[in-house]
Amino acid sequence: MLHDPLRVRLSGRGGQGIILAGTMLAEAAMEDGLYVVQTQTYGPEARLGASKAEVVISTREIAFPEVSVPDLVLCFSRDAYLKYGKQVTPEGFILLEETIRQELPDAKGHFLPFRRAARELGNELSLNVIALGALVALTGAVTRDSLRAALRARMKPEFLELNERALELGFELGGAVPQAV
Amino acid sequence: MELIQGNEACARGALAAGLKFFGGYPISPSSEIAEILSSRLPRAGGVFVQMEDEMASLGSVIGASLGGLRAMTATSGPGFTLMQEHLGYASLAEIPCVVIDVMRVGPSTGVPTAPSQGDVMQARWGSHGDRAALALAPASVAEVYDLTVQAFNIADRLRAPVVVMFDEVIGHMREGVELVPPRPEDIWRRPDPVGPPGSGHRAYAPNEEGVAQMPRFGDGYRFHVTGLFHDERGYPSTNAELVRQTLERLERKLAPVPFWLPPEKYRLGDASFVFVAYGAVSRVAREAVDRLREEGVAAGLYRPRVLWPVADAQLREDLAGAETVVVAELNRGQWVDVVARALPRSIRIVSHGKSGGEPVTTDELLAAAADLQPRSVKSS
Repeated sequence: MLHDPLRVRLSGRGGQGIILAGTMLAEAAMEDGLYVVQTQTYGPEARLGASKAEVVISTREIAFPEVSVPDLVLCFSRDAYLKYGKQVTPEGFILLEETIRQELPDAKGHFLPFRRAARELGNELSLNVIALGALVALTGAVTRDSLRAALRARMKPEFLELNERALELGFELGGAVPQAV
Repeated sequence: MELIQGNEACARGALAAGLKFFGGYPISPSSEIAEILSSRLPRAGGVFVQMEDEMASLGSVIGASLGGLRAMTATSGPGFTLMQEHLGYASLAEIPCVVIDVMRVGPSTGVPTAPSQGDVMQARWGSHGDRAALALAPASVAEVYDLTVQAFNIADRLRAPVVVMFDEVIGHMREGVELVPPRPEDIWRRPDPVGPPGSGHRAYAPNEEGVAQMPRFGDGYRFHVTGLFHDERGYPSTNAELVRQTLERLERKLAPVPFWLPPEKYRLGDASFVFVAYGAVSRVAREAVDRLREEGVAAGLYRPRVLWPVADAQLREDLAGAETVVVAELNRGQWVDVVARALPRSIRIVSHGKSGGEPVTTDELLAAAADLQPRSVKSS
């Protein structure tokens, strides 16, 4: 394990599938035989606004379910970056959607083109799965097989095939980057 | 093992307990309970109604319960406030029902999606009059399931409204759990009516536990239900002695609950430095106890699972060995008053309250402990 407990924060705009991504990451960790707790924070808005999901993964029981300073950050939007994406432990790792750099030239972290990849795949809603795949390929937070299983368990049948392709694309995207952690 | 949320555990616990009616009005951070039950309850042969507001929600639940169904509603602070009138009615008219309160930051609409334990005193005194109250406080996803089942049992056996209250952290967190459904013999029933229907029937005649033995509406009995003080047939009375005896009975019948669901006592045996905490705060308090023990401090945790009623004598006995008691809560200090009233003045009692919508952390509790300079095991 990178760190025990491993504290992961996923953030973006409401509606980008952040909580679903957090749930799948948590289920994959459970499949790996680890203790896990997943929490979420969202504003009073039904859509948009900055939203986050957090996953704590550990070999021991977890007392505090939230994340004060994360080891891994995955962030999809400018607002979420400003609110939740900047803070990380000294050895931590920040993975950002590429378009954030255009809006915030000073943003710090590793950038990957999740939105573009999702558009090329044919469905922008697959952004969360692509990014989750890249994060796991880059950090080994959970095993790829466990994440595949979690995806199959959570996705509605009509969206499964698209998202399976999205996950493999995310693995490729993350795997192509020189090892970050 | 499955990964599920506290709110989902609550909905599933209710179904496992035999829920047959839900009347509610969705509100963050409790909405998942209504969402899940809206699809699963009808498939389990029950009725789901989204009412026009929270007053009507508990009203519909009371009606369904009088008809004999296991019934509940779920809400958060603003809705809980609106339900206080009907909670009082259900207490005095002795109508079993379950109210889930997933606590968020208040007052008013406050911070709708941030955690709090600010409703603890409202659960006790929110409804007017000298009402005896029942409130359970689970601290994990698995315990939300178990205590929801128990809430129905207690409501039916004691014919009283039962509140299950937990903070947003517990409601929204997902944990890997193995839910154990209750066996048929684990489900308690309401006391049966005494004697046949007829003009002499006394629906409010108490049994040996002090609980009214009421028939269901529609069973052929003739009786009266009112929020006025009433005699054993249910008809209004202003007799002072009757009012006193009824109030005493309604309080006495709830007294066993803290013994049915005893507190968790973690490393409490020889502890001189004790945290008292419930809900999400108790999780970090347990971790703080372990860390303090590593440093040689005789620390322990007392975690009530029943916030109301309080077994004062038992609380005093359980904490008799403490020198310092820190009551840690996600509010500005509510249950601390209970502890302070129960314990002798020789014990130092400190309120560690936190408001603002962020949960209490282990490090905060350790810092609070350091400030209080607890005596270490070695020097004692």
